Amino acid sequence: MQNVYTVAQINSYIRNMFTQDFMMQKVRIRGEVSNCKYHTSGHIYFTLKDAKSAISCVMFSSDRKGLPFRMTEGQQIIVSGSVDVYERDGKYQIYARQIELDGIGALYEKYEQLKAELAERGMFAEEYKRPIPRYIRVLGVVTAETGAAVRDIINVATRRNPYVQVILYPAIVQGDAAVPSIINGIRALERLRVDTIIVGRGGGSIEDLWAFNEEAVAQAVFDCSIPVISAVGHETDVTITDFVADLRAPTPSAAAELAVCDFGQLEERMTAYACTMQRLCRRTVQSNRNRAEQYRVRLRYLSPLYILRTRKTQSVTLEERLQAAMERKLQEKRHRLALYAAQMKGLSPLDKLSQGYAYAADTEGRTLSSVEQVAVGEQIRVYVKDGSLLAQVQEKEHGEKKGRR
Amino acid sequence: MAKKKEEDKTEINRTEKEQTLSLEDAFAQIEELIGRLEAEDITLEQSFAEYNRGMALLAQCNETLDRVEKKVLKINEDGGLDEF
Repeated sequence: MQNVYTVAQINSYIRNMFTQDFMMQKVRIRGEVSNCKYHTSGHIYFTLKDAKSAISCVMFSSDRKGLPFRMTEGQQIIVSGSVDVYERDGKYQIYARQIELDGIGALYEKYEQLKAELAERGMFAEEYKRPIPRYIRVLGVVTAETGAAVRDIINVATRRNPYVQVILYPAIVQGDAAVPSIINGIRALERLRVDTIIVGRGGGSIEDLWAFNEEAVAQAVFDCSIPVISAVGHETDVTITDFVADLRAPTPSAAAELAVCDFGQLEERMTAYACTMQRLCRRTVQSNRNRAEQYRVRLRYLSPLYILRTRKTQSVTLEERLQAAMERKLQEKRHRLALYAAQMKGLSPLDKLSQGYAYAADTEGRTLSSVEQVAVGEQIRVYVKDGSLLAQVQEKEHGEKKGRR
Repeated sequence: MAKKKEEDKTEINRTEKEQTLSLEDAFAQIEELIGRLEAEDITLEQSFAEYNRGMALLAQCNETLDRVEKKVLKINEDGGLDEF
């Protein structure tokens, strides 16, 4: 029969094993923060975990100076301390004395710090943002010479405006040389007086994009006298440079769209302006013409010619009436005349011929009223009721009615 | 506090016109002018004047537009320009 131990004895024994293990006394453990609790006592309790495993951690308030930031869920950290057993509960845990951010976690922290600092300095303020010109002739690009970003920018820019001049500064966009390279690029393009600068690169990890989170790059972008469009990584990657830039584009292609106007649209717009102006001008001409026409019509009714013509028409009407009246009168007189003629006919000397009288005329047709008018032997004509007779004068005898010659 | 750097650089590829009248300014002027042309009570003389001015502005815009195709250039180590 073996010895029987108390729980306390076993826990004490196990604890002893930990304390005697040199490695357990000073150990550095990498993991992710989980279940982090800042206790009112000042102690911090959390769980350190990775994909496979988890371990409880405590940092006593007396060790708080070993934690330079506020721990939050999901941070990647490296904890330095000892692993020991808490005898009361029979649990082992890490007693943290120092906690630092690990890798990416540290970068995030730095990012947040710099962002806060630059924001404080006013470098993200709207009032410093330069407007991006709508139409540019020269586009500067600071990015890697190879890769999708530069191709996308060139393709989009020249598709929108085939006449735009693209000048590339082939920059190193990741690694230690990236910061001075990007800064040199911005300055070189500024010296060339390009119209707009795109600074950026394609997608990558936070470490790959890190140069764009460096203060020196942010400062160079801020200092640049030419509008800068940032285009770093993908839509979801937002760098310090993006905050400082005059405009942030979600991707390099989008940056080219924002920097270079669509030439076709520009031309269409100008044509539309010309058409609108012509149409409006023509409309004004037309309305003026209409007014002139109205005046012309009104004036015509008031013109002396029109009045004259009107009077003439009136006078013609009057003349016609006059004529008609005259005609009537004449007709009447003519009738009267016919009547008189008929009456006169009854009194005509010619009618006497029908009663057996005749009259004589010489051959010339002159009525004979005196013997003196003809000589003996001359021919005369004697008119009777139904014709005339040719006669010869045999002798003349003077009557007493007319005196002798 | 932050301060913007002064502009003291030399110029390239630039014409006088571009500096005197940007496309945006010209467009803004044209739009204003169209607004005046739209007024019902504009006189014929004003209308012609605005129209002529608008067409002159458009002509200037056209001159501003560069219609020469370019090769993409690359800044080399010496600060010179090479074809990309």
